[in-house]
Amino acid sequence: MMIKIHKKGMAWLLMAGLVLGSLGGCQKKAGGTIEDTGKTKAQAGESGPGDGSTVLPSEEAKEPGAMGRYGETEIELPQEMENHMKCGFMKGESGSLELFTKEGDYYSDGISDAFHYVYQDGIWEKDENWAGNDALKEKGIDLMEAAYGQDGSYYLGGTDGDYRYHLFRLEEDGSLTECLEGVFDPTEGREYGLLPPKFQVLEDGSFLIYEYYEVYLYDASGKRLFSMAKDFSGTTSDARGFSEGGEFVTVLDNQIVRYDLKNGRITDTVSYDEIDGARDAAELLGDGQGGIYMATEVGLSHISKGGSMWEVLIDGSLNHMGMRSIYMTGFLEGESQDYYGLFAEEAGKGLLLFHYVYDPDMAAVPPSGLTVYSLKDHSTVRQAASQFQSEHPDVRVEVRTAVEDGGSVTEEMIQGLNTELLSGKGADILILDGLPADSYIEKGILMDLSGLVEELESSGEMYNNLLDGLKEEDGKIYQVPARFSFPLLLGEEKAIQAYSSLEAMKGYEGEKPLVPTENYGNLLRMTATLRYKELFGSREGLADRGLLIRYLETVKAIGEANGAKTVFSEEEMEEKWTSNYVKDDGIIDNSIQYDAGRADSSTEEADGYGTLCIAAEVRRLHPGTLMVPAEDLYRPFMLASVNHSTANEELAKEFIRCLLSYEVQKEELYDGFPVNKKAMAFITEKDKEGFSVGSGIGDYHISAEYPSREVREEIGAMADTLKVPVRIDWTVMQMVEEGARDYLDGKESVEQAADKILRTMSIYLAE
Amino acid sequence: MKIPYLKMKKMLVPWLFLAPSLGGAAVFMGGPFVDVVKRSFTDAMGGRFTGLQNYQAVVDNSAFQLAAGNTVRFLGVCIPLLMTISLGLALLIAGGAQAHKKSSVIKNCRTILVLPMAVPTASMVLVWRILLCPDGVLNQMLSQVTGKAWETDWAFSRHAFWVLIATYLWRHTGYDMLLWLAGLQGIPGEQYEAARMDGAGAAARFWYITIPGLKGTLGMVGVLSVVNSFRVYREAYLLAGSYPDASIYLIPHLFAHWFLGLDIQKMTAAAAMMTGVCLIPAGVVWIFYKRRRHWM
Amino acid sequence: MKKRNGMVLIILAAACLLVWIPLLLMAGASLMPEDELYWRYLSPLGLGKDRVRAALLPSYPSPEAFVELLIRSPGFFVMFWNSCLQVLPVLAGQLAVAAPAAWAFAKFRFKGKRLLFGGYVILMVLPFQVTQVSNYLVLDRLGLLDSHLSLILPGIWSTLPVFIMTKTFETIPDVLMEAAYLDGAGEFYTFFHVGLPLGYPAVVASLMLSFVEGWNALEQPVTYLKSKNLWPLSLYLPGITEDKASVAFAAALVTCLLPVLLYLSCQEELEQGVAAAGVKQ
Repeated sequence: MMIKIHKKGMAWLLMAGLVLGSLGGCQKKAGGTIEDTGKTKAQAGESGPGDGSTVLPSEEAKEPGAMGRYGETEIELPQEMENHMKCGFMKGESGSLELFTKEGDYYSDGISDAFHYVYQDGIWEKDENWAGNDALKEKGIDLMEAAYGQDGSYYLGGTDGDYRYHLFRLEEDGSLTECLEGVFDPTEGREYGLLPPKFQVLEDGSFLIYEYYEVYLYDASGKRLFSMAKDFSGTTSDARGFSEGGEFVTVLDNQIVRYDLKNGRITDTVSYDEIDGARDAAELLGDGQGGIYMATEVGLSHISKGGSMWEVLIDGSLNHMGMRSIYMTGFLEGESQDYYGLFAEEAGKGLLLFHYVYDPDMAAVPPSGLTVYSLKDHSTVRQAASQFQSEHPDVRVEVRTAVEDGGSVTEEMIQGLNTELLSGKGADILILDGLPADSYIEKGILMDLSGLVEELESSGEMYNNLLDGLKEEDGKIYQVPARFSFPLLLGEEKAIQAYSSLEAMKGYEGEKPLVPTENYGNLLRMTATLRYKELFGSREGLADRGLLIRYLETVKAIGEANGAKTVFSEEEMEEKWTSNYVKDDGIIDNSIQYDAGRADSSTEEADGYGTLCIAAEVRRLHPGTLMVPAEDLYRPFMLASVNHSTANEELAKEFIRCLLSYEVQKEELYDGFPVNKKAMAFITEKDKEGFSVGSGIGDYHISAEYPSREVREEIGAMADTLKVPVRIDWTVMQMVEEGARDYLDGKESVEQAADKILRTMSIYLAE
Repeated sequence: MKIPYLKMKKMLVPWLFLAPSLGGAAVFMGGPFVDVVKRSFTDAMGGRFTGLQNYQAVVDNSAFQLAAGNTVRFLGVCIPLLMTISLGLALLIAGGAQAHKKSSVIKNCRTILVLPMAVPTASMVLVWRILLCPDGVLNQMLSQVTGKAWETDWAFSRHAFWVLIATYLWRHTGYDMLLWLAGLQGIPGEQYEAARMDGAGAAARFWYITIPGLKGTLGMVGVLSVVNSFRVYREAYLLAGSYPDASIYLIPHLFAHWFLGLDIQKMTAAAAMMTGVCLIPAGVVWIFYKRRRHWM
Repeated sequence: MKKRNGMVLIILAAACLLVWIPLLLMAGASLMPEDELYWRYLSPLGLGKDRVRAALLPSYPSPEAFVELLIRSPGFFVMFWNSCLQVLPVLAGQLAVAAPAAWAFAKFRFKGKRLLFGGYVILMVLPFQVTQVSNYLVLDRLGLLDSHLSLILPGIWSTLPVFIMTKTFETIPDVLMEAAYLDGAGEFYTFFHVGLPLGYPAVVASLMLSFVEGWNALEQPVTYLKSKNLWPLSLYLPGITEDKASVAFAAALVTCLLPVLLYLSCQEELEQGVAAAGVKQ
């Protein structure tokens, strides 16, 4: 009896705990809705962005007709700043915006010139009288960061020739006084000392010195008082945090925390879960009244002190905040509820400054909308969405993705999408990667884009060969790729020749195996990709038993030569430099295996110059080695199509034009080469000094620089020759892989395996 | 004709009880059902009337034939198994409870046996893999017992059928047992007493009192098992992929693939047809029942 | 007699063991630190080939996975709460709607009863896939999409509970009702004071089934809820990425915790209900 009572009691207790726990989790949200008192700074203004209906918490804003939204205007930066890197962005002595920059970039050695600019009356002016540059040069310091301390002085931090950090106060007379001497020296046995990504000077002259996982508080004399833990966002420029009113605010365990600067204790935590997609807060700033602003890719949000609900002030998806090719490097509040966002392109260069001002006459939500659906997140699509919106301020582009990055797509998700499509609804634009495109075309879900493609092709700006590859047999075209990659082969003439047919691959005789060791899953897929035309050229494809057997035998022969297995053990992976990872097209970048003399050839997926460093270097190291595309094959990515039942046909087409436009395509977002020729030429021309890649296993090591211009031009020229898109039915591939496993493991004959595969395939084809 | 007030009230009462359910069910269940039937006579996008074309296509489809055959086989094997095992357990527990007088052991058994139904399939599949993969526990045990190396990939071989049945039984036996127990409790104890007085043995009591007393439950458990059998798909799909061994290629697999390929017209036609097929035996029973009543 | 009881216990114990071993494996794995998990279950996790080293208890127990799940992934609680919001109203609704309907089917004679009941059964048998598109259209017309109601309302009017309850109410002897009528009780009084108490086990059993079904629903939320902040817990598991495999077991355990606890507490009620019925008889 006791047991019974006990058990029941426990059950209720636990359950109550669970429910309470989850209530607590939401309390903040639920409670906040009620007690949203309007104390926030934005709402304090009279006709400002705050009053009630005009704020943008998305639900309210959805009601049509609501007016008022933050607009974005670009503030022109001095021309000469084009090659400058930001060292500081702040409101300085005069209360106006100030920018510190330096020439050169992260990789440059030596001391570069530093500059000071002030924004006055709508113009950026260089402060010619600034003494900092000369003073730094004199000390032999390369400026890393400049800041305006709360004590009213300017501080400069930088490194000396030994890459040791120094922090100075810039005195009125232009001289430098070193602060925190000794703090940045390496501790014993270490090569480098503390290299803070950011520092801050407080009113009483004490210092907050940022590290990746911690922030230290030093008093003016250089004594460390305590440290406060924070999250590391993963980038070296990570410095989320600010201090205001005796508090230090940063991010810890994916929550915003307030530290008391008297004792370093956490006094409050604020969750920002509800700000969708804001997992990596980009900039935090105070509002001067204890509230917190958070500026991220999704926009600017504000929470007042003691408040529990975030108020969305600026919707980042409507402007440059959401653009993928740039990142936020500074965010400031203006004088009258306006904001300034400073953005940089890669490596801190290419600064862009935007001013966000509340416009009461702008519709709270753009009157028309365009929805883009894709299974996974694609940077180029996001980029196009931002670009499109900055060109069409009255259109809201919503990019819907089925899974967050890294998640796996399930059948239920596609079924959910199909339900919408069958009901005559669904997104205006569908990105078809991973979706059953052929069925959509057959059922008339997609719109024929022939007219649009013709127009694009006649502009002469596109790789017409790449677009043409997606034409159907009847000449219509339903999908347009935004990016592409193509398989490259690396090896001597004889080995390259062997890829010309299944027969040749199987019969290859050389000192070493033709292909580096891989698991059979990849070998099957690689062979299918490289011999795409031979295997899938006919109507029957792999359903042809003779062909299927030849294919399986080829893979087995390759595998026997290089010691492949269906699954490797830990030791085998180490010994054979391989893994159990199966890539959908099987084209593994394994030119180091070729370099190390483990195979007579290797493959590489060419999807950007940056990923081809090692391949190009390997070819340079081995005279006589060729680097050629595999026939005229390519893989199209981000296949954009228009839903037949869209109400915004023209806008949707305009979006695709934008997706393929030079502006969007020229951005390198590491998701493939551009299909826009002009953009490709731009990328090909661009040098990347200091870009280098290294790779090594055990004793072997190789490092390589960004491919030279000649090599880039050579690879770029290959794009003109590509004609046949590899569109393998991965469902069939899966069947082959499963059915062939026993044969490849040596447990049954090739005929048995082929029959097994054909049996499954016949079900598939019958459906 | 004038209906007396009382009688009218009597006629109205059941409808009052039914009304809330009926209204909602008509909207949320009935509406879609009518739409499904309608769709089975049109093309995929629901635009063009195609007559019996979809039905013809489904019947001629060899994948459908295979799936239907497999499904019948699956139901034929697992429903009797499920019913006998769960009934057996229910009888043991009921008997045990009587003998031990509220033994907590028995009660705990009950709790334990019902738990599996609450475990999400996606996570259970990981456990099945631990047990059934080539390097898994089952093969290790078999190797120990037989002395030779086992490396069968149970979920991907022709054994998949039995793997699926095992997972199905694992999940649903406990719940069905509960239903049986509820049914058993509905049989008045006096009947057993009386039978015992008359000198009926355990077997006779089971046969003449227990079984007839459980007739209602039998129908319920049977129908539930069929309903549940459609849910076995997620297990099959997560365990053995969308195109598993031909022996466990079931109707839900086919439906899922049709749905992915937007072939909803085939799906609805097949579903309508299956419903029809299920209705025939029900109709026969009904007619038989009516006639018997007449005759009585 | 003793011997027979012993046999009964052994068989039951064996059955329980068969059921529990997989569950214990899961529970054990949820408490393993990541490296132990990979050492033991490399193959089943699809990460490589190695002998499975199954263990019911971890060698180095660690709450790592639970911490990661409950504290580091803040989305979890929101999803948990969504699940509660989507499932509990369904149960309340079913109790209010399905039980009276079942009573009507079981205890009254009226025209069209069998036909109607047959209709309910048909609606129950159709798999969700088949009606998915049609359901979507209905919900869209009612403007319910992308809200908790899109899951709650169809859930309330699911016909399965009506079926289960009807079948049980049918077994309640008419004598008891007649006794109540003789005492001057009305129809509704009889339903509440005779029908519900006596049919209690089945009512609870059917609600239990509805709960589990709603709690683990995948297709409905994926299809009807566009806003991810409305997503329930059931969509969390499939969303766990490969590199988070270590959390999968813990997530599974937490996911089924509420149903299990609910069951444990209901079980007592269930027995009391049964006992009450017994007394009346």
